[in-house]
Amino acid sequence: MRLKNTLLALSTIAFFGVQAQDVQETFSGTRILNGHSVETLKKKTLQFRIEHRFGDMLPGWDASELAQSWLGFDQASDIRFAFEYGISDKLMIGLGRSKGTGLPYRSLIDGFAKYRILTQNKTTKMPLSMTFIGTSTLSYMKASPDVTQVQHFPKFAHRMAYCAQLNMARKFGDRFSLALMPTYVHRNYVDVNDVNGLFALGAAFNLKFTKEMGIIAEYYHAFHDNTVRTNNFNSLSAGFEYATNGHVFKVVMTNAKGFNETQFIPGTYSDWLNGEFRLGFSITRNFKL
Amino acid sequence: MNKLLLILLVSCVSVLLLISTTGAAEIQKISDDQVSNSSLEDVLSELGLGKYTHSMNGYDEEKAKMGKDLILNGRTRKEGKKSKRISSYFVCTDCHNLGQEFKALESEDASDRLTFSKENGLPFLPGSTFYGIYNRTSFYNNDYVKKYGDLVTNARDTLENSVQLCAKYCSSGRYLKDWELEAIMHYFKKNELHIKDLDLSEATLNSLRNMPTLSETERETLKNELMNSHRTSYSATFLPTMDVNLRKFGEGGNVENGKLIYNKSCLHCHANRRVTYLNLDNDRLSAKMFVKNLKNYKDKSLYQIIRYGTYAKAGRKQYMPLYTEEKMSDDQINDLVAYIKQLANK
Repeated sequence: MRLKNTLLALSTIAFFGVQAQDVQETFSGTRILNGHSVETLKKKTLQFRIEHRFGDMLPGWDASELAQSWLGFDQASDIRFAFEYGISDKLMIGLGRSKGTGLPYRSLIDGFAKYRILTQNKTTKMPLSMTFIGTSTLSYMKASPDVTQVQHFPKFAHRMAYCAQLNMARKFGDRFSLALMPTYVHRNYVDVNDVNGLFALGAAFNLKFTKEMGIIAEYYHAFHDNTVRTNNFNSLSAGFEYATNGHVFKVVMTNAKGFNETQFIPGTYSDWLNGEFRLGFSITRNFKL
Repeated sequence: MNKLLLILLVSCVSVLLLISTTGAAEIQKISDDQVSNSSLEDVLSELGLGKYTHSMNGYDEEKAKMGKDLILNGRTRKEGKKSKRISSYFVCTDCHNLGQEFKALESEDASDRLTFSKENGLPFLPGSTFYGIYNRTSFYNNDYVKKYGDLVTNARDTLENSVQLCAKYCSSGRYLKDWELEAIMHYFKKNELHIKDLDLSEATLNSLRNMPTLSETERETLKNELMNSHRTSYSATFLPTMDVNLRKFGEGGNVENGKLIYNKSCLHCHANRRVTYLNLDNDRLSAKMFVKNLKNYKDKSLYQIIRYGTYAKAGRKQYMPLYTEEKMSDDQINDLVAYIKQLANK
């Protein structure tokens, strides 16, 4: 009987392909909000991304700022343009350019590779999906003559920062997904009251109301010595997603200013409780090559 | 002298008898095996129908293999190098099966096709199968002119041209190079129909065994029998989106058939975004999206999308082909809706 069931399962898998049994759309798109999701691009899909974070909406809860900067729309905390590509259904790479928050540096080029190690699957009873992400950023901003500044960049390597992340997620039923993201960030050159390497644990959920619409929340808790890093806050974001055929449109409210794990995990200095949160959006467009 | 004449006469008669007996033996040499393995084209040609315009004397195994590779993967290896993909968006098998789709080859009835699909675990696709395509003489029939206009003019009576039309327009790709088209034609030739593939009566088989001795009337009957035992073309009727007042919304629909259609038609392309960006699964959210749109005429209404499909446009060349009435009947759409409603309320 067991042999018969195994043969039946194998023939089903052979016919539909293993992927047909895979749990799909754990998150919409390759990003949750600021950080990565477990999803990867399909093979030979090129994605163009435009991501934007506006300025503080109500800094110091000063209502006059609301009108003055029009909900922060007048400022751009960070802007990222990127091309990302699916080499296989499991492996994708990306190359992006972002403005950078200036905390501590600007003008960033980022590159990453992302590999799907596990896929939640009802047939094989795989309980979760998992991807590994390795990212790196390089600041090409003009070096400052001020030797006390991080932007002084005594060596070229000081412009680099890295991040390694294990992204684990599980979809519960049809609507709800949960993710945990243990992360390590290393920056080659930091300020005197900062640390080069730190661990962080991210957590996120996605609740879909309909096939197209849903809400998302994402939080990264950085583990560091509070006596050394005194001005830092953890990145907390909430968002709304609308997916159409070929587009995923996400609107986000976050205290983090920058893109890339090397910026928003160690370099968030804005406090939700002080009105220092901003609107942001990301638009993606896929092309089949 | 009389004796000599008698001997001569007996000898002549014997020789004549021997000749006639030998001749009869030659005619009866059309064995069952020979009949079974005869190519349908050859037999029809023998019966006076002539050869197809795309007729080929034989096929090259290597070319046929490359042809199959092109059909399955859109590319193959030629002289050790990977060829350029025909289309970035589709391969032939996204819309066409390669094997038999009907138990009775002369049928084109949608419910017969679904039954055969169910029994044999086949995808239930909008295009006609490549099985026996070598033995067809008409393509892009009937209403396909509504979709492709003048493009069908040269494709309707020529298999090679219809393959080119499919490669360039239906698959949002490019025209095939000569060697690619040749390879695909060799694959088609390799998979042409033989007498053994047809469901023929014993009387027809007997006529085939004794073909050289048949009278004109018998030959005509045999020809008709053979022509009626397979299809030389598949009809294509485009139906308008069903009026909302005529829709049954799954009432009386066969849920099991509907599930089969969802899995073997919709998910063939939409599961895990295999061909398209719209991801579908056997989940409530996908079903609820369809249920919400059942009463309208938008793309997310099953009544609309199945009959009209979508069209390729700049920046998004992958599109959904429509299902003709022959490929999915209104009753089958009702079955599908019945399943979708059940799935939404699961």
